[in-house]
Amino acid sequence: MLQMDLDIGDFCSNWAHCDLLSAYLARMVSHNRLDSLLFSNLYSSALNELLETVFRVHGKSGKLECSVRRQGGLDRIELVFPADEDTFRVYSEAIDKLSGKDAEKLYLEALFTEDEPDASLGLLELGVDYGARLAIDRAGDGRMCLVAELTLEDENE
Amino acid sequence: MIAENSTQAFQWTYNENDQEFALHGSLRPQKAEELSNCISALDQSVSNVSGKFYVNVRRLVRMNNVAFHAIACKILDLVRGRSDLDVHVTTSSVVGWATRKFAVLETMSDKITVSEYDSEFYPGQSFVEDSEFIHVLRTQTKLTWKHEKDLLRQHGLKPGMQVADICCGIGDFAVLLQKEFSPDRLVALDHSKSSLDYARQVAADFGIKGIDYVFGDAADMLLEDNQFDFVTCRHSLQVFDRPELILKELFRICKPGGRIYVTNEKNSHCLGEPRGESIQWTYNEVAKLWHHFDMDIEIGPKSRRLLIEGGFEDVTIGSFMVTSTDGDPQGFADIIASWKNLFAGKMASERGDDAAFVERFAKGFDDHIFAALHPKGYAGWPIWVASGRKPL
Repeated sequence: MLQMDLDIGDFCSNWAHCDLLSAYLARMVSHNRLDSLLFSNLYSSALNELLETVFRVHGKSGKLECSVRRQGGLDRIELVFPADEDTFRVYSEAIDKLSGKDAEKLYLEALFTEDEPDASLGLLELGVDYGARLAIDRAGDGRMCLVAELTLEDENE
Repeated sequence: MIAENSTQAFQWTYNENDQEFALHGSLRPQKAEELSNCISALDQSVSNVSGKFYVNVRRLVRMNNVAFHAIACKILDLVRGRSDLDVHVTTSSVVGWATRKFAVLETMSDKITVSEYDSEFYPGQSFVEDSEFIHVLRTQTKLTWKHEKDLLRQHGLKPGMQVADICCGIGDFAVLLQKEFSPDRLVALDHSKSSLDYARQVAADFGIKGIDYVFGDAADMLLEDNQFDFVTCRHSLQVFDRPELILKELFRICKPGGRIYVTNEKNSHCLGEPRGESIQWTYNEVAKLWHHFDMDIEIGPKSRRLLIEGGFEDVTIGSFMVTSTDGDPQGFADIIASWKNLFAGKMASERGDDAAFVERFAKGFDDHIFAALHPKGYAGWPIWVASGRKPL
């Protein structure tokens, strides 16, 4: 398991942190895969969308914890970050959309909206396009926990 | 054009001749406005185009939803607003997310098509991916390894280095490298999934660990800059229509002070006696045949120039000859037989050669085999080895 802790304010001080963190962690976890380069590229894309979502939607202050672990072909990304009720609701609504029958339709609508893309688009993409299992929960200290479980490599390929 | 900040860099280019707008690099902006110059360039590019407009994202390594939304909506606007326009998006299989992501565009308009296409980079790939060719590739490596084992040391390879074998094919050379030089890290990259499957299976069967076999485009690798002490690329510049693109990438991934090692052939210098004249004629024709398919099987002695022009220093070049007297004349003959099958078979047929030509063409290979197996004969296959150092 790898875990990174940082202040949410520091994380959100620079948009490039999403790219840097996702690229760094993807490189760290890509060893011993069927294809380390393909895996790293996909993992980085998925994690970046999660981090960009947190960058846009989070509570005022507190600690961001990002931990990643692997069990066989399943990769689990866990983000714990400050979240007030409004923040939690955004994530909760996105998860609700994913659990419905028309998740793919909602994802495409969000992807091609004429307005600014919704902050939850990244979560919809992970659920629909990456087949990720997403879950949220309340954590202590006014924070919430967002978990994504992904299978990015097909061992039969 | 280039847009860059501390972590992200992307470029766009427009090729008017091909009506193709290409995006390269990493595209993860915070706001769509950051792409306004790129979108303007896209608008300007398409303004004088009718018919099919190509959007090439083959070399777009990373892209977030902000960027996808901006680019995708612009493409949709174009086809909806212009009855005279169709858009084709070209993605790469090397970038795992790209085809799946862009494919949704096809569901939005029947004037948009999306396809995954890499093969044009490798004119010879379909020929060497043939499973029948695996045996000959293994035999070739076995015969060249006798020479290269020592040559690699002379060109600077030492145990414990970070090594990459680019265009590793079926991965047998990487296995030999692993056994002989115990590199600290060994990445073996190829653009053929079937070859990589074979390589992984062989490594597993032989209990070889530590080789990271990865899928990739040698002309645009996902590997990061300045990683390797020693980068090998064997018999591959010659099957590539633009070898300078591969050399540029080899240069990029090599550490400053590290070395690039390339081997290439000059097939018209294959020789044999008896029946030397027939053999000579056929191999001159081999060079012309490869040229027809945009490949240069004569590149061997040109390697020095390519490396110097690629920015390498301390460039050294030499050659060795695999011969029928190296101890395995039948192995040598098997290689020639497979060349005959491929060159005078599938390739000559695809070029449209007539029967008389093919008969004479094939005879030269038969004569080379005859020379290789003749008790007093001699047959040779010359290979050029060149290496250069990336400046500090």
